[in-house]
Amino acid sequence: MAIEEPIEDKEEAVQQTAERYKVRIEKVNGWYGSKRAIRDVNLNVKEKTVTAFIGPSGCGKTTLLRCLNRMHEMTPGAHADGRVVVDGIDIYDKSIDPVIIRRRIGMVFQKPNPFPTMSIFDNVSAGLRLNGMNNKTIIREIVEESLRNAALWDEVKNDLDNPGMSLSGGQQQRLCIARALAMQPEVLLMDEPTSSLDPIGSSKIEELVRVLKDNVTIIIVTHNMQQAARVSDFTAFMYLGDLIEYGSTNQIFMNPEKELTERYISGKFG
Amino acid sequence: MTRLLDIGLQRITNLIMDMGHLSVDLVNSALESYDKGIMLRPQIFEGSEKLRFLQMEVTDFATELIARYQPVARDLRLIQSFMDAAYGFSRFGRYAYDIAEVLETIGPFPDCDKSQVTTMAKTVKEMIELSVTSLEKLDKNASQKLYMMDDSVDSVFRNYLKKAITQTKKRNFEPKCYVSSLLILRYLERISDHACYIGDCVHYVVTGDPSPRR
Ligand SMILES: Nc1ncnc2c1ncn2[C@@H]1O[C@H](COP(=O)(O)OP(=O)(O)O)[C@@H](O)[C@H]1O
Ligand SMILES: [Mg+2]
Repeated sequence: MAIEEPIEDKEEAVQQTAERYKVRIEKVNGWYGSKRAIRDVNLNVKEKTVTAFIGPSGCGKTTLLRCLNRMHEMTPGAHADGRVVVDGIDIYDKSIDPVIIRRRIGMVFQKPNPFPTMSIFDNVSAGLRLNGMNNKTIIREIVEESLRNAALWDEVKNDLDNPGMSLSGGQQQRLCIARALAMQPEVLLMDEPTSSLDPIGSSKIEELVRVLKDNVTIIIVTHNMQQAARVSDFTAFMYLGDLIEYGSTNQIFMNPEKELTERYISGKFG
Repeated sequence: MTRLLDIGLQRITNLIMDMGHLSVDLVNSALESYDKGIMLRPQIFEGSEKLRFLQMEVTDFATELIARYQPVARDLRLIQSFMDAAYGFSRFGRYAYDIAEVLETIGPFPDCDKSQVTTMAKTVKEMIELSVTSLEKLDKNASQKLYMMDDSVDSVFRNYLKKAITQTKKRNFEPKCYVSSLLILRYLERISDHACYIGDCVHYVVTGDPSPRR
């Protein structure tokens, strides 16, 4: 038996283990009315890594993702239980304002959804202004930085007043990423962000994910195993609402533990 | 439902089995040619070249399968292992050629004591055959057996080396016999190692663990 160092301060030890994870998902269930779409999911996400959720459609990837910034409960009749602990704080705690949570945990959706009537500039700055920021210089700075970080600046810097909708699909998606980045989130949730994009648009987003993870913890839903393999450090495989297997992407990719995972990722389903 | 990838995997399996059987034949003929003093160098050269081309074909085809179907998990391990095994089989061919060349260069050896070579050859032939069938049946347990046989091959080789040094001091020492045995034992020892690597590959395909011995 291995001899372990005695832990002097138990509280501190717990704290230290907890701090290694940016997000801890504990026994989370996601419901639509009485239908349970995800079941007792447990998962720990390390800071500044990319985690991919994969699995056949309808397995609960989106539901789980939306439970992580309390967006799930915005669907009428839907609710979640369990704990989602971000930086040691349970986001489902009664004292927590979900609006603040959604600011710290940004989200990018399947289809690019820029605000249709707004210019490129306003799309990125809208959240800031909504949160009471009105220093124009600072807003300009943040807009530029966000667009740069979303790898869109060079393409739009001379057309900031054009409508967001005038951009290509791939550019619109990067605009949505810039919009999320403007809020300086610590965690970025992405729900199949490339599913409506062409290969070039998709690979730009994938490159961006790799760059962004230096500063942000990213969780990405994808139906594309190869995309998960390219961009993620960790992969979680879900099936019928259950988390079946979770591990380093390399392990899931080369040597999955569970037969079900193997069958899914190698296309042997059905 | 058959996946398109499965059709490719079947084709690459056929290629690799062809290589396996050809390499068994080549090593067997090379050993027989040494034993009986029959010159077979050109034929064995041809077979060894054929193995080399088949190996390139396996690598090309494996690369194509990876690029086209982006296989994962066991499928990917299988393709990786086929590439490694193809290299192993091409080495069998190459050592068969080296053995045949010994006879051509310094043979024949009608009066040499061939008992050491015969003993080791018997084990090594078994090992090659086992490596081929382990791949055919994806038998992960073959690697254990191969390593045990490899240990005995290694000890025969080491003992011969030691013994040969003392023998060279004796008066009736025949360099031709000593050098030919030593070279062939060495080639057989290399073949034995490659057979083990093929066993490792099979173990890796089946279990995902690349190093069964250590
Ligand atoms: N608004 C909703 N109302 C009722 N059921 C829903 C709703 N959204 C999703 N579901 C159900 O929840 C399950 C998980 O869906 P979802 O999380 O969207 O899966 P995925 O993102 O993996 O495709 C599915 O069975 C789906 O039909
Ligand atoms: Mg979804």
